Amino acid sequence: MHMLTMTHPLQSLFSWWPSLPWGRRDEHALLKANREYFAAFSQDKPLTEYEFVVFDTELTGLNERRDEVVSIGAVRIREMRIDLQNCFYTCIQPDQYVPKSSTLIHRITPCQTEEAPKLETVLPEFVSFCGQALLVGHNIGLDIGFVNRALKKHLGGALHNPCLDTMRLAMLYKESQWENYYDRYNLNVSYTLTDLSKEYGLPLFDEHNALQDAMQTAYLFLFFVHKLHGGKIKTLRDLYVAGRNWRWI
Amino acid sequence: MFTVKAPQSHSLNPGVVLEFLQRTLPFNELSPGALEELAEDAALDFFPKGTVVLTQGVTDISHLYLIQKGGVKLYLQDESGAVTLKDFRGEGGVFGALGIIRGAKASMTVEALEDTFCFLLNKQTFLKLVTNDPRLAQYYLKSFSENYIHKSFSELRRQRLTPKGEGSLILFSVPVSDMIKRDVEAAPGTYSVQKAAEYMARHRIGSLLVEDAKGIVRGIITDKDLRSKVVAKGLEYRTPLREIMSSPVRTIPADAVCFDALLAMMTHQIHHLAVEDGGKIVGVVTSHDIMVLQGQSPLYLFREILGQRTFEGIHEVSRHVPQVVRPLIEEGGKADNITRVITVLNDLILDRLLTLLQEQLGPPPLPFCWMLMGSEGRKEQTFRTDQDNALVYADPRDDQEAQRAEAYFSRFAEEAIEHLVKCGFPRCLGDIMASNPKWRLPYSGWRANFDRWVSVPEPQEVLHSTIFFDFRPGYGDKALAERLRDHLTKTLQGKELFFRHLAQDCFTSRPPLSFFRNFIVERDGEHKNRLDLKARGLVPFWDFARLMALRHGSQETNTLRRLKAVADGGHIPEELYRKSREAYELMMQLRLVHQLKLLEGGKTPNNFVDPAELSDLEKQTLKGAFSVITSLQNFLKSAFMLNV
Repeated sequence: MHMLTMTHPLQSLFSWWPSLPWGRRDEHALLKANREYFAAFSQDKPLTEYEFVVFDTELTGLNERRDEVVSIGAVRIREMRIDLQNCFYTCIQPDQYVPKSSTLIHRITPCQTEEAPKLETVLPEFVSFCGQALLVGHNIGLDIGFVNRALKKHLGGALHNPCLDTMRLAMLYKESQWENYYDRYNLNVSYTLTDLSKEYGLPLFDEHNALQDAMQTAYLFLFFVHKLHGGKIKTLRDLYVAGRNWRWI
Repeated sequence: MFTVKAPQSHSLNPGVVLEFLQRTLPFNELSPGALEELAEDAALDFFPKGTVVLTQGVTDISHLYLIQKGGVKLYLQDESGAVTLKDFRGEGGVFGALGIIRGAKASMTVEALEDTFCFLLNKQTFLKLVTNDPRLAQYYLKSFSENYIHKSFSELRRQRLTPKGEGSLILFSVPVSDMIKRDVEAAPGTYSVQKAAEYMARHRIGSLLVEDAKGIVRGIITDKDLRSKVVAKGLEYRTPLREIMSSPVRTIPADAVCFDALLAMMTHQIHHLAVEDGGKIVGVVTSHDIMVLQGQSPLYLFREILGQRTFEGIHEVSRHVPQVVRPLIEEGGKADNITRVITVLNDLILDRLLTLLQEQLGPPPLPFCWMLMGSEGRKEQTFRTDQDNALVYADPRDDQEAQRAEAYFSRFAEEAIEHLVKCGFPRCLGDIMASNPKWRLPYSGWRANFDRWVSVPEPQEVLHSTIFFDFRPGYGDKALAERLRDHLTKTLQGKELFFRHLAQDCFTSRPPLSFFRNFIVERDGEHKNRLDLKARGLVPFWDFARLMALRHGSQETNTLRRLKAVADGGHIPEELYRKSREAYELMMQLRLVHQLKLLEGGKTPNNFVDPAELSDLEKQTLKGAFSVITSLQNFLKSAFMLNV
């Protein structure tokens, strides 16, 4: 176990930290490079010098052991700008038949997945796309959990990219907006991607398409980074500090 | 470098930019290929409220900024630090374009007014498109281009009026030369009427041109002439044609469109027009030909009105005016043409009403003239315009005659106003009507009024009297009103103080700055959500045209014709004339369509336009039109050396 996982200051923002590379398979070269890069990761550079990959998955269900990924969509942020033409999207053929209950949500039909590639052929491309970027997602724990479970199974490792959760950022931002004590007991608060986007007046994208949701999440991420802490967040560490302060006040 | 083509995908490119560009001016004009190129390396940036995105004279512009959501304000700052607000841009708005085209630093400071998401488009690609596509350059470099006005007009017709049936462009596109059915049929003036009638019957024609010995067309005879001038009067069949022909023949140029022919026929109350091409008569068009061409023609209504013998009948047919006007708007009639049709129809209604009224009340004790003021005077009536009228009668010789005149004309005016109300012309709120004894005067009374307004101008009085300066004769002894106009023109010469007051009056209305979202942005930055098209848009043009026409001795009352007269006389620059004509027509058109829509929805027409209902294109063009008002005001400022 290396140092970073133990002491990583971003931990409070991470909903999930990748498990250690003790798979049965040999670790894939891409993942090894990924692990080694993030072992020596600096968080003191300005945010504009980092790359972020915002991603989202559509699943056959929510059971981490049984269910599978049917599509991945990802958007890149460079210099804190969304690179609109540098996107990643693919459908994936799951081992099991796509259940109707999930098709009704994401509109991906069993027939569509039949022509799609299997997850193991998509994974290296996705790992390459993520590269050295920080990963961003809305409730990213769920998505990265599915991805890393698959990575462990097929490529013998996991992604070590630090992860940022826009849902956590939303909570921080909301807390910062509290004006009086009782605001925190307001139960009419929704943290879904669409509700947040509507609440803050962002342009809206179609729901439940992995790429569109990733795009929506990217907008939300830009919004929070600029709005949190009065717009004074300049480095990755600032982002963390902003989170910590709100946590302990 | 990490870009991965998805092995199988619905769409790798989320198409956000492309889709946005496709519905945003002026990009939607570009070819799909050009759009894709522009979208190719687009990025998205976010500017929280209050962020200064570009700083005047400092920022090197790296991208073209296209606002996806939010809004910004643009302002200039001079050395002393004073800030001049220049514009607001909302969704679909672009900034940074001028800087890129000029290759200079930001020309204005841009600040986010709210949380704003912007697409950043590649500067080089944009520059290339501007160079290759003159439309794009025109859009950014010309504030008010004809191209967009034209588009705006067609969009107005297409989107704001739900089509009723097949709207064809016949009236406005078919030249009268296409309506000529046969070669010119002409007979020498020495022919007897019998010979002519026999010829017409054999050839199944309803009219015959009459030539002199040299073969020059001198007149025309029609079926109606044979009936009313020969048979009804018991003339001999030997009577030569030249004695009964109507002469001279009204002509129309061969390249005029059918609409012009229709209007000419209605104005002169005739049914035949000779078509002239290169000084030669090439044929005859009849109202019948045009009516066949066009089902719902204003001419039908015209005949209907003409045929009415009762007040009730006139009240009834006058309500059909909007129905007749609608297809004209759909077919591409410009506001100027439409208002001319409405004016002709309304004048005829007035003519019928007052003729019937005179039959009922008996002949007037003195010659009189019913004068039209305001929009009626300017021949710019839209729908259901308020009545603005007055009455002038010949000076009575003694008290007795004066009393008789007052008794007759007060009753006459009261009843006329009542009938006009029943025809759908509401009373004037300011009581500027012939029923008001203040505005029912003998000639000398009117002359005194005008002399006072012109020679001893009180600012308040000038303000209230402007409407009277647009008078024209409506019915009766038109010479009376014309004499008054001649007198006024003479009196006005050199009355600089009066003109100065009028000029000052032109500055009371400041045009709005811009549209932002669905708001009209006032110069002081206040938002207002309804636009009074009349007060904010049209009145400045009326005032300007009136002032300039009066000052330069033009007797025109119509705004466009006044502008043309002063431009032809070299009193305003050609460019200013062209721009104001376009701007004025656009606003008139917008008002017309707006009112027609209300009318058809069963509501009372008004002048209040909701910006939310305007398309991007309309907003853009209106914004351009407002800027013309500023040009007019600037012109007056220097012409009258006003330091407002």
